[in-house]
Amino acid sequence: MIFLEVTNPGNVSIVLFFGTIGMLALTIGLIVFIIFHQRKVIRYQLRLQRMEEDQQKLLLNASIRLQEEERQRIAADLHDDAGPLLATARLYLNENLVNLDKTTQLQSIYNAKQIIDDTIQLIRNISHSLMPPTLKNFGLESAVNDLFQKISGSGSMNASSRFHDYRERLQAENELIIFRVIQELVNNILKHSNASFIHLTQNTSGSKFFIRLHHDGRGITQTDFNKLNKSNVGLGLKNIQSRLKVLHGKIFFEKDMSQTYYKVTIELVKEEEDKLRSPE
Amino acid sequence: MNIFAVTAYFAETLPIVFYLIFLKRNRGEGLWVIFLYCVLSLLTEAIFAITRQPVVFSIFIILQFTLFSFFFYSSLKGKRVKYIPIVGALVFYGFAIANFTNKRFDSISTSLSSVLIISYCILLLYEQIRDSTTEFVYYNKKFWVIIAFFIYSSATLFLYIYFSTLSGQQRHSYWIINNFFEILKNILFSVSFIMKKRDKPAYAMDTLDT
Repeated sequence: MIFLEVTNPGNVSIVLFFGTIGMLALTIGLIVFIIFHQRKVIRYQLRLQRMEEDQQKLLLNASIRLQEEERQRIAADLHDDAGPLLATARLYLNENLVNLDKTTQLQSIYNAKQIIDDTIQLIRNISHSLMPPTLKNFGLESAVNDLFQKISGSGSMNASSRFHDYRERLQAENELIIFRVIQELVNNILKHSNASFIHLTQNTSGSKFFIRLHHDGRGITQTDFNKLNKSNVGLGLKNIQSRLKVLHGKIFFEKDMSQTYYKVTIELVKEEEDKLRSPE
Repeated sequence: MNIFAVTAYFAETLPIVFYLIFLKRNRGEGLWVIFLYCVLSLLTEAIFAITRQPVVFSIFIILQFTLFSFFFYSSLKGKRVKYIPIVGALVFYGFAIANFTNKRFDSISTSLSSVLIISYCILLLYEQIRDSTTEFVYYNKKFWVIIAFFIYSSATLFLYIYFSTLSGQQRHSYWIINNFFEILKNILFSVSFIMKKRDKPAYAMDTLDT
């Protein structure tokens, strides 16, 4: 307090007056600042929260719409393909009841068998599209290789995949999620990019698990992805986002350093995978 | 005795009355320390009026600062900063014991106590605005107690520092500052005791947009 010492008693009143006023002004200023600053921060947080909620709503809507579309597709497949096939098989079998000619009966049984075989194949295809058996039995690596072989086999595009470090399989549900994301990305590339090749690589770095897709067609960058995610279009991309959210994963869309290829990187944290595994 | 001094004396009963009336609202809020401080303050005035022994004020300052220190210690959440009031209290006890006199007013100890309280208030307010989970500060009961201490200590700091250099006449005239802010402090304490507890964060987007 030495610096506040006043030698002239006459000045005490002035110092006391201005000192008190100054301290009060500082205090009240600080309190007002705190109140307004906090209001500002809370307002900003609420805006962020609202934006996050909107984004969640968009993702949820996209996922519901996609689910409905999938159901409609299965219903259409069953109604338009399996239904008529079974009805025809029934007709052939009915014919046996009225037609007693042995040769005709054999012919109609053979036809009915053919149709039932077709129906079995059709139902198998539907079932495989819902849950690929390769994925269930042999894991993500085999399922992706299978998918890429089929694409290459069609002759329209050169597709290849390489898993560098996949000795330990991920949890089955998570493999399915990643497979669906890859399927969606590949579908988008096939539909929109006009690419001549797709190459997928998998590797790990520490606790992180990466899947990278390269293609030489028309692609999108992260800015496009964010824009599409916030808009009402880009249902597939929203679906990718919501699927990856389950795994706490990230996805990055970028153009290669050489500006020739587009690159999509899926990043997952293995510990998150373990956490999801642990409750079992 | 001027009107301010009388009002200030009676204003001390306000927080005590409101605390007792709204006991339920103040339970579990850690405000019993402030209630004790108000009772102690009133008792000191009463004991002095009877005994006319200025030593009661010297004892009061030490007890009062112990209560303040406890209040700030229990209010601060940060592990590191939590111990600042304890260290501050030890420093204060050192000064208070060294300057223990039979005078009515010990300028050094009181000024030091004001400086320490101002520092604690700033620390607590800073902690409150940094905590993103906190609701609006002014819906928090402790906020009103803090600003009561903050305004009172800031307003009276210079008066306490220069008190020993003032003449009898000046002391009498300037003591009005203390009385005025004493009344304000007790009103703010009362606000804190009267206000309702809030379970949910007291803010909504609609109220902010307006």
